Amino acid sequence: MSGGGPPRKRNFKIEEFKNRVELNPKYAERTWKVLEHAIHEIYNHNASGLSFEELYRSAYNMVLHKYGEKLYGGLESTMTRRLKEISRSIEVAQGGLFLEELNTKWMDHNKALQMIRDILMYMDRTYVPSSSRTPVHELGLNLWRDHIIHSPMIHSRLLDTLLDLIHKERMGEVINRGLMRSITKMLMDLGPAVYQDDFEKPFLEVSASFYSGESQEFIQCCDCGNYLKKSERRLNEEMDRVSHYLDAGSEAKITSVVEKEMIANHMHRLVHMENSGLVNMLIDDKYDDLARMYNLFRRVTDGLLTIRNLMTSYLRETGKQLVTDPEKLKDPVEFVQRLLNEKDKHDKIINVAFGNDKTFQNALNSSFEYFINLNNRSPEFISLYVDDKLRKGLKGATEEDVEVILDKVMMLFRYLQEKDVFEKYYKQHLAKRLLSGKTVSDDAERSMIVKLKTECGYQFTSKLEGMFTDMKTSQDTMQDFYAKKSEELGDGPTLDVHILTTGSWPTQPCPPCNLPPEILTICDKFRSYYLGTHSGRRLTWQTNMGTADIKATFGKGQKHELNVSTYQMCVLMLFNSTDGLTYKDIEQYTKIPASDLKRCLQSLACVKGKNVLRKEPMSKDISEDDTFYFNDKFTSKLVKVKIGTVVAQKESEPEKQETRQRVEEDRKPQIEAAIVRIMKSRRVLDHNSIVAEVTKQLQARFLPNPVVIKKRIESLIEREFLERDKTDRKLYTYLA
Amino acid sequence: MGLGGGRVRFNVGGQVFDTTTTTLANAGRDSMLGALLDSSWNLAPTISGGGGGGGGGGVAEYFIDRNPACFAVLLDLLRTGSLHVPPQLPEKLLYREALYYGLLDHVRAARWGAFDGDRLLLAASVPGRAPGDGTAIRAAPDGGCCVAHGGAVHVYNWMLDERRPVSLDHSQVNDVAYLDEGTLLIAARERLGKYDGGLAVFSAVSGDLHHRFRVVHDRQAKSFTAGALTFDQDSNIFACCKGRFNEYGIGVWDRASGEQADFFYEPPGCALGDADKLQWLDATNALMVATLFPKTDNCFIGLLDFRQKNVVWSWSDAGTAASLDDKRVLHAIAMEDERSVCVINQYDDLGFLDFRSNAGGVRWSSRSKLMNRKVPGEESCYPKLSTHGGQLFSSMNDSISVFSGPECVLTSTLRRSNGGAICDFSIGGDRLFALHNEENVFDVWETPPPPII
Repeated sequence: MSGGGPPRKRNFKIEEFKNRVELNPKYAERTWKVLEHAIHEIYNHNASGLSFEELYRSAYNMVLHKYGEKLYGGLESTMTRRLKEISRSIEVAQGGLFLEELNTKWMDHNKALQMIRDILMYMDRTYVPSSSRTPVHELGLNLWRDHIIHSPMIHSRLLDTLLDLIHKERMGEVINRGLMRSITKMLMDLGPAVYQDDFEKPFLEVSASFYSGESQEFIQCCDCGNYLKKSERRLNEEMDRVSHYLDAGSEAKITSVVEKEMIANHMHRLVHMENSGLVNMLIDDKYDDLARMYNLFRRVTDGLLTIRNLMTSYLRETGKQLVTDPEKLKDPVEFVQRLLNEKDKHDKIINVAFGNDKTFQNALNSSFEYFINLNNRSPEFISLYVDDKLRKGLKGATEEDVEVILDKVMMLFRYLQEKDVFEKYYKQHLAKRLLSGKTVSDDAERSMIVKLKTECGYQFTSKLEGMFTDMKTSQDTMQDFYAKKSEELGDGPTLDVHILTTGSWPTQPCPPCNLPPEILTICDKFRSYYLGTHSGRRLTWQTNMGTADIKATFGKGQKHELNVSTYQMCVLMLFNSTDGLTYKDIEQYTKIPASDLKRCLQSLACVKGKNVLRKEPMSKDISEDDTFYFNDKFTSKLVKVKIGTVVAQKESEPEKQETRQRVEEDRKPQIEAAIVRIMKSRRVLDHNSIVAEVTKQLQARFLPNPVVIKKRIESLIEREFLERDKTDRKLYTYLA
Repeated sequence: MGLGGGRVRFNVGGQVFDTTTTTLANAGRDSMLGALLDSSWNLAPTISGGGGGGGGGGVAEYFIDRNPACFAVLLDLLRTGSLHVPPQLPEKLLYREALYYGLLDHVRAARWGAFDGDRLLLAASVPGRAPGDGTAIRAAPDGGCCVAHGGAVHVYNWMLDERRPVSLDHSQVNDVAYLDEGTLLIAARERLGKYDGGLAVFSAVSGDLHHRFRVVHDRQAKSFTAGALTFDQDSNIFACCKGRFNEYGIGVWDRASGEQADFFYEPPGCALGDADKLQWLDATNALMVATLFPKTDNCFIGLLDFRQKNVVWSWSDAGTAASLDDKRVLHAIAMEDERSVCVINQYDDLGFLDFRSNAGGVRWSSRSKLMNRKVPGEESCYPKLSTHGGQLFSSMNDSISVFSGPECVLTSTLRRSNGGAICDFSIGGDRLFALHNEENVFDVWETPPPPII
């Protein structure tokens, strides 16, 4: 063909063209008419007469012969025409039939679209991707969106109808949920953007204003509990609605609208609501309401924080009243019991209503820690509470009950900042219990010690444990003493000695009083026995701590057994030889310290029913000019009479000062030790860091005062453990 | 419809085929035969005599005006799942018919077997038409491929028909990647004075430009040269970028939005903008960057963490290589377990670097003694590495070596005598494509379908 001239070449080319494409444009037009007819028939539900193979082949031929664009364009315009007709038939549908009609037509369109796509499958596979067109199915959806959903006559009507139906349902009417579901599904099928823009956004706006109005109405007329009930119901309704006929993605959005309008916007008003707010719920233990509040508020930002803050301030306020009310400080046991009850009550609320939320537990703990330490007598009172329980309160209680009570006490103990003060008092109270033999259960005592040990470490309890050991050794020693020396002792009074290790016990050096000669003999025998078996020890009599049982015969011959303290015994024994003695005489004979003597005489002469002595002149108080006589006329129904010492269970004011001073004194070496430990490892440190570190190290036992720390540092500098840096005065250097 | 008991009778181009609805169901709803059987279409059979005198006895049959020989092959494919093309039947004819019925994917799936580096056979050799050396060859996920030649990218479908090439108006193509079988990501060099080059997405079907990625430095869009490319499982695209004003580094774009998502500026001592290879490590959540000889004198391999914006691991031979005869790292690839990176030098030695330790150099395997067949005078290509399905592939001169197992034992060698050295190769869509340097030809290697028993 290279040799052919121009006319022949053209001729040849035309022939080839004819051979390859036997379809001329007329044929293409004819083929398209067939397909167009078929599309109409499909929309007319009249497809039974159509031959799929023929239509498929026709579409194939059009694409094959480069009429793809004509085919695609024809499809688009035919479908558009049909959809415009459909849109008119939907527009004329009346009232409630509107949605029905829309849904029916949508179903029809889907079905038709599937069949059209079947016919045009070849175009969909070849022409569409290579010319970057929209696939047939998607095209059908887009056209439906543009000509039906976005048609001006349908668009707003559809939205209004949907929103109206939802409003009706909110007001309690029953609506056709199946139809709603089909319509929202249609919007989703048209693409998430259609669903969101044409339905979801306005739906959320309308819902917001609905709930904003409703919440205003509710909050005017409901108390907090009822309001929350209604909110909860609304929330559940909305979730139910989503699950029934909205897209799952709407759930988070609509719930957040309800949460915002019903909860977040009224949060503060709700919790502070008079007579029904959070505080009232807490007071009245309204577990259901509290749980509802917790579950609703947790859904919104800062919701739980609001509850927690109010609860904390309420707890602190009531707690503060509790610990500072002087009326309530009169009975320490009652005081601690109140604290425990308060704790139990709120523990239960947090457990039952707040799902054991850790942050609430922390808030409760920090509140307790705050107000317990507002009263510096709390450590003493807690120790007294334990004392009371271990003396008598636990009689008949099972081991488990004891454990429960002790655990609760430990919980309060944990809140204490001044744990060393507690230790001081606990030691005193334990000593009294042990020496007077008043402790009910040895197991309970030991259990408490173990708890303190696990909480604060070995050091904290080593002295307390030493006290138990002393008690045990004393018992053994006394047995041995009587076994070895019984014949030597004869019929004299029985002696029971508690040998206390110095340092382990809260004893103060106290000059011994003059014991009656009978007692003195046996005491000396014991002393020689004890020092004979243990060399290198020193015994000092703590006459201020002992007790004695003495038999006395009164005027009419009636005999009583008197249970008295060692001091009281010394005083009473004086009356064996004489009937009347002045205060001065007694003081001189016995050498009992004045304050103790006064108390001792008071209990012997001024207590009704136990007045074995008679005082002249009669008065409540002891003065140094008083004279005392043996009270012949003493009577009592009891054979055994216990004469207690007049001593407040609580400490008197000077004693309190003294204990406090001792505590402060004991803290000094601890603070110094901490400073030295820290400086030894750090070598050089500035003042503020030392204070911070020391506080950190010691806070398990007490909260050291920065001023005290500063004094200790100065003292250490004086003793050349530390020195100030020469250039920077804020820096300290450790001197090895 | 058709015969009783789910039987269907077709008359295809005059020849009668009896089959069952179950067999036809294998075609799937998304095919012509599947649509034909769908209940929405009232299957209107042509009564015998009306359709061209096919089967007798008045049995209803369905007429299809197509080639019977091809229909027989395709019906067999639906029946057995395997493809047997009679020798006299041209493949292209079969493909055309398969496209008519919507069965082309079935044919492709049955045409060759699952990839196995040790069972590869040469399936085709496609001569190139473009002048000059090919830059790169990339396998498409569906078995097609593309070849970058200078300023154009030639695209082939899985039937190895060439589509419309992607033309970049004569900008030099630096790297190509298939985002999916219909989408090509192309990195090109910027030319002085023109705002071109950079990174863009093209349709692999039509060759049209879809989107061009921009780089913004200091809130100003800048022209840049894009080098090596990669992308991760989410929707991030990574490319090394060189800007005119020392804006070197790795750019990150979001595939869905097409917008720049991040930029990792080149820290001192780490060559990022000129990298030869980028590889996203999914398990490690880091990007491996390798900048190698001869682009730079010193090889650098590093792992970048984009969340922390730091180099979490790196290796460089700076200060170790002195003369040209020393072992130089020419290509690198992270192994599939993401524990080490495999490197190769000019003597075809494989070496390994451990990602878990920062110290220590390349652990060279002692393969060089065995394989040292250096031909000094001949122009050779730089070796390339690739991994696939637990196997390691390396190209050297005119052959590709396949290594298997954790010890990387040499198990196969692929070689073809003509075409010259292999300048690039790529594995994808169960095929291996090797681009030869001299004859500008590429070879297609396939695993045959599994044996009958």
